[in-house]
Amino acid sequence: MKTFVGLFATAAAFGFAIAIAYWYVAHKEAAGTVLLGIMGAALTFTATYALAAEREAKLEGDNPNETNEEAAGDVLGVFTTQSPWPILIAFCTLALFVGLLWVPVLGAAGLVGMLLCFWRLGAESARV
Amino acid sequence: MIEWLTTTDHKKIGIMYVVFVLAFFVIAGVLAGLIRAQLAVPNNTLLGAHAYNQVFTLHGTAMIFLVIAPFGFGLANFLVPLQIGAPDVAFPRLNAAGLWLFVLGGLTVFAGLATYGGAAATGWTAYAPLNEYFVGTGAGQDLFFIGLLMTSISTILTSINLLVTVFLLRAPGMTMWRIPIFTWEIVATSLLVLMAFPSLAAAFAMALIDRHMGAHFFDPAFGGNPVLYQHLFWFFGHPEVYVLILPYFGMITEIIATFSRKPVFGYVGMVISAFAIAGLSLGVWAHHMFTTGAVSNPFFSAVSFLIAVPTGVKFVNWIGTMWKGAISLTVPMLFAVGFLLNFLIGGITGVMIASPPIDYQAHDSYFIVQHFHYTIGGGSLFALFGALYFWFPKMFGFRLDERLGRWVFALLFLGFNATFIPMGFMGMEGMARRVYTYPAVGHLPMLNAIATLGSALMALGAILFFVEVLLAVRRRIPAGDNPWGAYTLEWMTSSPPPEFNFETLPAVRSRRPAL
Repeated sequence: MKTFVGLFATAAAFGFAIAIAYWYVAHKEAAGTVLLGIMGAALTFTATYALAAEREAKLEGDNPNETNEEAAGDVLGVFTTQSPWPILIAFCTLALFVGLLWVPVLGAAGLVGMLLCFWRLGAESARV
Repeated sequence: MIEWLTTTDHKKIGIMYVVFVLAFFVIAGVLAGLIRAQLAVPNNTLLGAHAYNQVFTLHGTAMIFLVIAPFGFGLANFLVPLQIGAPDVAFPRLNAAGLWLFVLGGLTVFAGLATYGGAAATGWTAYAPLNEYFVGTGAGQDLFFIGLLMTSISTILTSINLLVTVFLLRAPGMTMWRIPIFTWEIVATSLLVLMAFPSLAAAFAMALIDRHMGAHFFDPAFGGNPVLYQHLFWFFGHPEVYVLILPYFGMITEIIATFSRKPVFGYVGMVISAFAIAGLSLGVWAHHMFTTGAVSNPFFSAVSFLIAVPTGVKFVNWIGTMWKGAISLTVPMLFAVGFLLNFLIGGITGVMIASPPIDYQAHDSYFIVQHFHYTIGGGSLFALFGALYFWFPKMFGFRLDERLGRWVFALLFLGFNATFIPMGFMGMEGMARRVYTYPAVGHLPMLNAIATLGSALMALGAILFFVEVLLAVRRRIPAGDNPWGAYTLEWMTSSPPPEFNFETLPAVRSRRPAL
């Protein structure tokens, strides 16, 4: 987990450093400076969240000498093996995009379909 | 059938990625064959200009968005949980949604062929304002944007999933500094995707708004700026090149170490160089825009030169891994060596055109076509085949034929170089890319004829590969759990692995738990 925090923090610092360097070298060119600055900001956000989460996390994978016996327990939860909703979500996404451009009714159906799929996904998650 | 359509098992999803990728590869290959047939002789009329524009647009789009990038993520889907000792990915249903968004997105791009005016014909870059008003940018262009938006969403979702999986679901003892290099490369690639792909989605969404809602983001007649599209596109587009290559660096690292019978030379250097490449790739986007005169050429040139350094580190590490190793030249290893040779040419020509004076000469010429085909075709594609031969036994429990595999390699390697070496000379003779025909001047007819013959050899190699797969499926000769004597965790479970991957999780106490 520490590696995870370090990775994002280093990347964030790099994002800001290169944004500043670009702003200076490229004579205050706006588009690139904003793109790189947003990149630094987004990485900072993730690094900050990871830092907060890291304090509470205890990951078996972080301990080089952890044994299976020590790590035993239902900590990972249950993984589903079948679900019809992901493929339906993909079809609804396509309907939404196509509908937005040409057939508003299809777009609305796609949106409603997606919401239904997400609702059923939630119910499915609650069951497992 | 229903079981496969609704599966959330990462292994089945990974295998379906590979199958769909190969299907798109066949289509893209046929399109490449059409391009080479059209250019085989000067003043050819096999394809008209508009048809040719559609063909090269779909070829490039399919190879980049539907073959090379998704194969990396598809293989990662199959391998990453196995390599870190996890039962599945962190979000299995999100993973399945990613697969189907990719498949439907790809089909949507090709659906443009059925529209009046045909498919998108603006090149895979779909530059503004070309994508807004001109001939051949009707519904096919819209479907291109919609399809690629869907594949972008798919890639972003898959990246989030893989990152969370690696960070949170590692087996006991599998510390971050013990995970295989392939998994590290996937972490770097996923981070890169999260930084770069939103920019592409924004560019495409803005283009659609321009086209359908009367906005003028990229229309200079109304105060818009087409160079903004280029900024947004290439802020995605250049990191995308590394999204297309970093997973393949990981694949060949595993192959080279396995068949050299040695640990990876400079493991930490490999990891750091992957992140250095990923980071620097976010600062080189406008080297595609040197000739616009609207960007800082010194900045982008300097960073582009710099990115060769971590790539060079990787080459040193690969050579170091092979050095004094007990090398066995199996088919995967042949493809890995082929990768090294081809990618080196792609890399060196890349350093050449990182220099603005050279780029001004080479821009939009066949020299550029040669350069990126040596990186993505000669690099990623050779690693793709190497990876297929290497992990096929783990996926299906039986292996591909070594003798036929050597023929496949020979045909692809000879065909690839015969196709693309002449293109560098065509570029130097001034042949522009994306032209549907050319006059009979200089060496152009001879060079184009050689390139077309080379592409025929590649087609033969690809056909032989599919014959080999069919034969392997018919014969089903059991491969065993670890036919190559490889060292990473996936080789410690059965072939194919059971549901949730491991009957009993092995103890992980080193970077090479299988030895």
